[in-house]
Amino acid sequence: MAAPKTPAAKRTIGELLRRLLLLDLFKGLMVTFRYNARALYETRDGGNPNQAIYTEQYPLEAARVSERFRGAPRLNLDPENGSTLCIACDLCALACPVDCIEVGSIRREVREGEKVNKKKVLTTFTFDTSRCMFCNLCSEACPTDCLELTQSFELAVYHRAGFRWDREMLEKGINYVRYAK
Amino acid sequence: MQDILATLLFVAPDWVLSVTRERRPNAFWAEYVLWPAIQILVVLFIVLTLVAYLVYLERKVSAFMQARLGPMRVGPWGLLQPLADGIKLLLKEDIIPIKADRAVFIIAPIVSVVAALVVLAVVPWGAAWATIANVNIGLLFILAVSSVGVLGLVLAGWGSNSKYSLLGALRSSAQMVSYEIGMGLSIIGALMFARTLSMSGIIDGQRLDGIWYVFFQPLGFLVYAVSALGETNRAPFDLPEAESELVAGYHTEYSGFRWALFFMAEYSAMIVTSAVAVTVFLGGWMFPGITGTSLFGFGPIANPTVHTFASIVVFAAKIMALIYAYMWFRWTWPRYRYDQLMELGWKWMIPAGLANIVLTGIWYVLALPKAQGGVFGFMREVNSRLVPTGRGIIYFIVTAFVVTIPIVWGMLVTINRRSRDFNLHEQRQLQSQLRRERLEKMLQEQPRPAETAGD
Repeated sequence: MAAPKTPAAKRTIGELLRRLLLLDLFKGLMVTFRYNARALYETRDGGNPNQAIYTEQYPLEAARVSERFRGAPRLNLDPENGSTLCIACDLCALACPVDCIEVGSIRREVREGEKVNKKKVLTTFTFDTSRCMFCNLCSEACPTDCLELTQSFELAVYHRAGFRWDREMLEKGINYVRYAK
Repeated sequence: MQDILATLLFVAPDWVLSVTRERRPNAFWAEYVLWPAIQILVVLFIVLTLVAYLVYLERKVSAFMQARLGPMRVGPWGLLQPLADGIKLLLKEDIIPIKADRAVFIIAPIVSVVAALVVLAVVPWGAAWATIANVNIGLLFILAVSSVGVLGLVLAGWGSNSKYSLLGALRSSAQMVSYEIGMGLSIIGALMFARTLSMSGIIDGQRLDGIWYVFFQPLGFLVYAVSALGETNRAPFDLPEAESELVAGYHTEYSGFRWALFFMAEYSAMIVTSAVAVTVFLGGWMFPGITGTSLFGFGPIANPTVHTFASIVVFAAKIMALIYAYMWFRWTWPRYRYDQLMELGWKWMIPAGLANIVLTGIWYVLALPKAQGGVFGFMREVNSRLVPTGRGIIYFIVTAFVVTIPIVWGMLVTINRRSRDFNLHEQRQLQSQLRRERLEKMLQEQPRPAETAGD
């Protein structure tokens, strides 16, 4: 060896002992063992943010999405009298960048006390989920918090016609088969 | 008298004799046909099912260690997964490459799996009648038949007519052969105390000496453990069959049930090497207080049938602990490069095994009773067998841990001084120093070209 032995080239006793007793190897073993043990006794739920196993057994367990997830559209109803909140202003259709909303309305005479007004009333509301890109512009445009994108994301259908949702489907929502096994 | 009693325990039980209606002194069909056939069927059934469930266990253990769940869909907690895998493999198309050597291709997995399963005949699964064939040379038989398994590999690699298979088979067989030597050498130290190659005799030796041989031979156990990992091609020595390296090594071209046979051979080899480790180093089917020896006056179980069943359970538990260790090592450590692997086998394991034999022999001879020429006299003769006294046990343990291990480690370090990877530290220092010198030389030479350009 031509190089003189600098202090960095010498090995300390600690290093030698660590090599002899294979301490680094055992540290690695402890890490995996701890994961193994935690996987056996920990309960897996959303309440434990540091759990060892995060696997979500979909479709047995309902998939968890965040609150601001944008999924299937819904027309909200007035909680007091069950009538629709939609005022047929057409702002959502105008805001939609892919033109997937069609709002149909008629003007009807509504008596409010003394005056008689002609108000727009919603008749049909068609939403094409195959064109929708779930950008939420329609929901932000709605002045009455009627149109809202929910957290439901299982929107697959068997026929293309199933993608065009009418007013009734939008108000009630779709019910899909839950696999329990 | 005690030897006759010991051999009587391995004969067929009475109910088998009542089936064949023979008398014990000259019972042929019961002793040599019916009872061994029953034992063989039971052992094969249990071991093959265990092999299938070891695959499941490996998947679960690896999943838990990787923070995921593993098979969960097929049965409760995925327990029927091996059944689904077995059915799938049976129904798969049997592909034989066109240019492959048909006879060799077909025979290779058969040789492999038969060599792996034949060894099960001499493994002492439990006390008394729980061994199929209690031969005097059980350990030698196991080592010899394991070597035949290498033939299956080589046949597979050659018969597949594929370069990946051939390279994988060459690497695999070279690795297996190298680590077999280490395996053989590492158990000799424990055999010095046991004085017999018979598997049940080794367990009996540990019972009479009163201690598991792992405490007398920690170095032997370590060398055996590493060699067993290398022998069975398990991580960290699994380069020949790592998927990212050689597709799948020697079993690349095999599909369906033929591949399943190779898999069964590998997992049976795992079981057998674990069984040998348990027998030679970890006291076999003995557990203080349940079988074998008594603990705090709580003696071994009196009823012989219960005793044997308990011994089988203890043996199985010990094997499963070692197999868990196999899987633990696979999913924790990165794998060795092939040349590092061979270097470890030849330059570390074999010298360590040899040094272990020499040093153990020295301690053994020094501790012989004074009547036989020993110096310390830490052993006494009991029924024509040398058993260490209490002081002898402490002496052997202390010399093994405090004297043998440092001496052998120092010897290994000295032997491997010139090895490429070992003095990496100093090589790096040398590299940086040379770089510094080169840089200084360049800085000194720089003014000269500038002067000539200025002329």
